[in-house]
Amino acid sequence: MTLLKTYKKDFSSKNKPPVVSVVGISKKFPGSIALDGVDFTILEGEVHALLGENGAGKTTLVKILYGIYVPDRGEIYVRGRKAQINSPKEAIRQGIVMVSQVPQLIDKLTVAENLILGLEKYGFITRVGKVRYFIREKSREVGIEVDPDTEVWKLSYTQKQLVELLRALLLNAKVLLLDEAITFLPLIEKKKFYKFIRDFANKSGSVILITHKIYEALEVADRITVLRLGRVVGTVPRSKVSPDVVRKMMFAERSSQVTYERLPMSTPRESAALEISDLWVMGDHGDHAVRGVSLTLRAGEVMGIAGIAGNGQKELIQAIVGLRRVEKGRIRLYSEDITNRSVSKVRIRGVGYIPDQPAKYGLSLENSIEENLAMLPSLTNRLINWGSIRDLARKLIKEFNIMTPSPKTPVKFLSGGNIMKVLVSRELLVARRLLVAYNPTRALDEVTAIMVRKIIKEKASTEGIGVLVASEDLDEILQISDRIAVMNSGRVVRVFSSSEAVRDEIEKLMVM
Amino acid sequence: MKVVLVKRVKPLPLGGLVIPGASIVIGVLISTVVLYVISRADPLVTLSCVASALVSPEIVLTFLFLTILGAALLVAFNGSIWNIGAEGQLWLGTAAATYIALFTALPQAPAIAKVAMVLTAMALGGTWAAVAGVLRAYLSIDEVPVTLIMNYIAYYIINYLVRGPWLGKKTWGYIRTDMIPDQVKFTLLPGSTTVTYEVLIIAVLALIAVYFMLKYTSLGLRIRILGSNPDALKAAGVNVRALIITALTLSGAIAGAMGAAQLAGYLHRISYPIESHTANYGYTAILVAWLSMLDIRAVPIAAYIVSALYQAGISMQIAGISSASATYVFIGAVLLTFTVLRVFSEYSLRVIRG
Ligand SMILES: Nc1ncnc2c1ncn2[C@@H]1O[C@H](COP(=O)(O)OP(=O)(O)OP(=O)(O)O)[C@@H](O)[C@H]1O
Ligand SMILES: [Mg+2]
Repeated sequence: MTLLKTYKKDFSSKNKPPVVSVVGISKKFPGSIALDGVDFTILEGEVHALLGENGAGKTTLVKILYGIYVPDRGEIYVRGRKAQINSPKEAIRQGIVMVSQVPQLIDKLTVAENLILGLEKYGFITRVGKVRYFIREKSREVGIEVDPDTEVWKLSYTQKQLVELLRALLLNAKVLLLDEAITFLPLIEKKKFYKFIRDFANKSGSVILITHKIYEALEVADRITVLRLGRVVGTVPRSKVSPDVVRKMMFAERSSQVTYERLPMSTPRESAALEISDLWVMGDHGDHAVRGVSLTLRAGEVMGIAGIAGNGQKELIQAIVGLRRVEKGRIRLYSEDITNRSVSKVRIRGVGYIPDQPAKYGLSLENSIEENLAMLPSLTNRLINWGSIRDLARKLIKEFNIMTPSPKTPVKFLSGGNIMKVLVSRELLVARRLLVAYNPTRALDEVTAIMVRKIIKEKASTEGIGVLVASEDLDEILQISDRIAVMNSGRVVRVFSSSEAVRDEIEKLMVM
Repeated sequence: MKVVLVKRVKPLPLGGLVIPGASIVIGVLISTVVLYVISRADPLVTLSCVASALVSPEIVLTFLFLTILGAALLVAFNGSIWNIGAEGQLWLGTAAATYIALFTALPQAPAIAKVAMVLTAMALGGTWAAVAGVLRAYLSIDEVPVTLIMNYIAYYIINYLVRGPWLGKKTWGYIRTDMIPDQVKFTLLPGSTTVTYEVLIIAVLALIAVYFMLKYTSLGLRIRILGSNPDALKAAGVNVRALIITALTLSGAIAGAMGAAQLAGYLHRISYPIESHTANYGYTAILVAWLSMLDIRAVPIAAYIVSALYQAGISMQIAGISSASATYVFIGAVLLTFTVLRVFSEYSLRVIRG
């Protein structure tokens, strides 16, 4: 509270006018209070970071601004005028546009067609030629090429997110709502997006940026608002705060758990948990994504795979669990050949798997936590004992602090990070011999992410399971790994032991 | 120019019973108009036919048949496997039961024969559906056209049997099989001329079994998840191919059981050609499944309403109030309304230039 008072003076002294103000907004869902009397302003020409632990209410707040949810109480003012935003259409009319982390484009249409569709839906009429020209110009400006006439399914994730952003610009956005829309981009491209956002703000646009990467938020944002349990903890200018202060606001006393120190080495056993020899795997686009990878992972060891997204990590992991065909080479799990075995055969042997698209390959969002546990063959028999599944669900909810009204609530009603917690906790449970994971802490807040890393490390040490973690987040790799393999263009270019690993050197190998 | 359906960011707030309820009401109103236009049926008379069908004892057998088939379809539909083939599956069930009743020695032990009739009917109905399951699971061939085409193949096979090897000896010129022996006919409920104990038992068992399966077995849970996220199932280590085949097989087997019940409890023989003797329950049941919103507990309610509409159509035809098949006007109108409401609650139509 004191924080709030001291800083209030500070930003009233800035003479940027507020574009959007939110006054006393509350929103309840069955079983949870997502927002509870939130006051919040966005000034013209600012990048405003919205931070908070998983389930704090960030997504709910921007969804209210975008007219997807209607608040139970409170008012929204756009340029000083009271606004009734009860549909995205109305939000767009007011110049407020949301870009979500999941691209909403239609795959079989071209980029230009998608954008035109997006425009007409909201009553904007433009010429096709103009849209094409706009796409070419802007994508060049950002530095990520997008051909307006390619069909969307051919685009990379980065390109799709750029198209989403261009859609927002074409809609004449004055306020951009970015709900972890940039978080999952590869580092280099992320920088281009951040530069683009800064430019947008400098030309008097406004941006709300939701992210769990505190350092990034501190780098690009002008002001930071922290939410906690649906309330505003405070709004502070970047210049006045350090990461530690922000963390205190986000997590209170739990903020002391945040550390990026290397976790203590585990003690690898003699036996190899996973042996991969000369592995070749096809990618989605008809060429080899994994090109002759050989790795040995000991039981009790955590191996990190560093690399920029799209260098074969995803395909390597999918091949291990049996989701992707191996063209050549062998995979052995505790000396047993599992090359090209079905997923069921691999998983039943005690293999946990955290996929890169949790909502697609991890969980069924329509179903409850209980059902998402019971769907795993290794956790149920033919007859489901719902009683014991419920106990298990309760245990995980408690251990991982999963915010949910009940174990029976469909997972889609949880916040993004809490959905991820369901997946991660389940897979840690079934990983009796091996865990393969891709970005295991994506969407998690810092405290939870670090807790998950500690649990993984501990499982490796005490239970002696092998762990293979691919991540685009180098901090994560450095913190968790006993050894680090760097992947580039489908090959493992070098393996470091954790003591000899140097950040700069790894980064160089990643982009080489 | 392209026309596309775009998923709404925010689905229209039409929860629970709104869509099925509204489609019944709107569908019936549309039917009154259609029947007025095509055969000058007074809308008030049409409505009163519907009302009296709701309390008519004649709908009980249709209700039971549709309940069994509704349960059958739910097994597949809950996994987004669109089994349009209940019609063929049930008729092959009828054929299997006929075979046991007429061409084996089993009827000498009637109780065993009755059980055997139902079980072989289930086996054949299940196998027939499994073919579509295998094609879908291994070759990714859409089950909708396959199961539909297989209905016609089933008709063809049975027509062939009835005209040829199964043609009866005492048929007075009709092309049909002999009557099944009296001792394997199902036992009528006291006071009823159509409803038997056995069909009642099959309907109750089908409902309980499907309810239990969907709720308490991992098979049922996986079928439900198959409907929303097959990729997650696969990554969890579930054999999705086997799952698809199993779901279709069970669905076909339950439909097959209804086929046996229709033979032993009501038809007692098969007449040629099937096309003009079938009541098309296999297709009508699709409406039952939809109106239940794929909730097994709502299947009897949906079956009750649909059987009433079915009966209303028949009585209008018999009374000469409408010339056309009023039954199909009712069923079609409700189904169409339901589909339109469903689609437009979640999607909006867009036209793109360019
Ligand atoms: N559609 C919904 N139905 C029910 N509850 C919801 C719904 N959306 C959000 N909630 C609840 O509201 C709370 C806030 O969720 P919200 O998604 O806003 O969190 P968040 O700050 O975005 O978290 P995260 O960092 O995990 O994405 C959560 O407890 C969540 O369970
Ligand atoms: Mg969120």
